[in-house]
Amino acid sequence: MSIILETRNLRKEFGALVAVDDVSIRVEKGSFHAIIGPNGAGKTTLFNLLSGNLPPTRGHIFYKEQDITRLPAHRMAHIGIGRSFQITNIFPNLTVFENVRLAAQAVGKDNFRLLSPASRFRRYEERAWEVIRQVGLDERAFMLARTLPHGDQRKLELGMLLAPDPELLLLDEPTAGMAAEQVPELMSLIRRVRETGDKTIMLVEHNMNVVMQASDVITVMHQGAVLAEGTPAEIAANEIVQKAYLGGLYT
Amino acid sequence: MTRLRPHISLLLLLLILALLPFLVGLLDGQSPASMLAGEAGRSKFIQGLMIEIFILAIYAVSYDLILGVAGILSFGHAMFFAVGAYATGILLKSAGWSLGPTLIAVVGLGLAQAILFGVVLARVSGITFALVTLGLAYVFDILIKTRELGEYTGGDVGLQGIPRPDFLNPSDERLRFYYLMLVFAALVYLLYRRFVDSPTGRVCIAARENEERARMLGFNTILFKFVALTMASISAALAGMAYALFQPIVSPEVAGLGFTVEGLLMVLMGGIGALSGPMLGAALFKFMDFYFNKWFGESASFMVGAIYVLIVLFLPYGLVGTWRMRRRDMLAGWEELLERWRKMMG
Ligand SMILES: Nc1ncnc2c1ncn2[C@@H]1O[C@H](COP(=O)(O)OP(=O)(O)OP(=O)(O)O)[C@@H](O)[C@H]1O
Ligand SMILES: [Mg+2]
Repeated sequence: MSIILETRNLRKEFGALVAVDDVSIRVEKGSFHAIIGPNGAGKTTLFNLLSGNLPPTRGHIFYKEQDITRLPAHRMAHIGIGRSFQITNIFPNLTVFENVRLAAQAVGKDNFRLLSPASRFRRYEERAWEVIRQVGLDERAFMLARTLPHGDQRKLELGMLLAPDPELLLLDEPTAGMAAEQVPELMSLIRRVRETGDKTIMLVEHNMNVVMQASDVITVMHQGAVLAEGTPAEIAANEIVQKAYLGGLYT
Repeated sequence: MTRLRPHISLLLLLLILALLPFLVGLLDGQSPASMLAGEAGRSKFIQGLMIEIFILAIYAVSYDLILGVAGILSFGHAMFFAVGAYATGILLKSAGWSLGPTLIAVVGLGLAQAILFGVVLARVSGITFALVTLGLAYVFDILIKTRELGEYTGGDVGLQGIPRPDFLNPSDERLRFYYLMLVFAALVYLLYRRFVDSPTGRVCIAARENEERARMLGFNTILFKFVALTMASISAALAGMAYALFQPIVSPEVAGLGFTVEGLLMVLMGGIGALSGPMLGAALFKFMDFYFNKWFGESASFMVGAIYVLIVLFLPYGLVGTWRMRRRDMLAGWEELLERWRKMMG
């Protein structure tokens, strides 16, 4: 078993607030690794560090044994790390199709073809259609992203993550704000992606049913620090976790 | 069919503009031979006005590429133009260069100022960048007007007596100048349209919409903006060069903030980000500037100002931008109507 991602004493301070407190985790290649914890535990901040969105105060990040701590955000997609956002982060005035097509184009080699129409680069368009069908937005492909209902915007967010075909997917509450009946569909899609492509998935999620069902490993964060780590069964049985977070559920 | 239509209207416009000198001459009873000989008349006058418009249109559309397409707020656009104008004047007059090397130098200077702005843009963005560009352009403005450099720049008076090659003499060869500028403006427009639809241009638009997200997708956004800056800077410098070749005097006003504001007005009147809009805006601006001055004298600038305010108030996307939007709404409306009929019949 190889480790695809590792953090060593990763730390992020916002003034006096320690949002990520010396976090050291190892993520196995091909695993489904969930990060849980109460609001404000530092999960999104951890993702911001991993994706190069924020520089850490201290500590290191290793991806495939390479130190990527100081790698700029725009390099991440090119080395196979993709992320989705808890708060929908799309291009609101572009079409669904163009949002996804751009995500596919980003990792290609044609970004500086100044004078050829983008539609000439068929492979990005084909990839975009593939993903749009996968997330079930094909009927709305030519709508402006901002006119989509919230649930569909979440699907678009996922589509933009999938289009470049990353090896490591950082999913920050992909089901946030989705109608309950849409959640199983989205989760089975994520599981399918992982199985068909040998992907590693890191998932931040509040929905315990989803986490318990899907994960191989769960890391519990609390006030920036790692409180516990283990299989779903171990976490469910952990007394400290029960007290701090789960509050008596899943016993 | 839908892909062809914009080309047809563009071709039609080019055809009309190509025939314009002769149409005006014919209406005025001037013989084609006399027009080809460059004799004075209304045709020659209109050619002169249109040459100024073509130059301003390139200036405006290059500003639009920065503002409207790449979403970079810059207040230094007059400098982009003035660098080309002054370099042309000084190289031809004081340095005694010929036109070819001067052209290459102007392109080189256009690239240099894009690099200068790009270096700034890599460090600061938004309103801070806008203020830095304002400062840079101001320094350039002052530099031109200093007495120490007056020997080269003509100081407050302007740069006069630029030697021009005979084949481009703005008076004797006006018709040739007219066609050259028409082709120049058309080429810039076509080039920009291609760019906006290219993979690079699409990223510029994405970065304008949500830069952080574009970066997270894997685009080093500053490089894409730099490409847009370079294209705009070189085309504005070349427009400045044409201006220096055509006008009897390079006025220091083209380096001032006022000229940047005029460029902004052309962009906003025509429609920001619409490319053809700002070019139309430049034409409108020039026509208003000229005819209002002729008809109303002193009060002309108030009227130009009032019309500008009215356009921006009632057509926030400018003339072309608003027209496009209306047309889209209308198409959507038609579809809905057809759909309703289909349901009623089915
Ligand atoms: N850019 C920032 N500047 C200052 N404080 C921040 C910033 N980003 C996050 N924080 C703070 O860091 C702490 C951790 O926030 P974070 O968003 O990482 O939590 P989270 O675990 O994702 O919570 P949630 O479950 O609500 O999404 C919070 O107290 C938050 O207010
Ligand atoms: Mg969060």
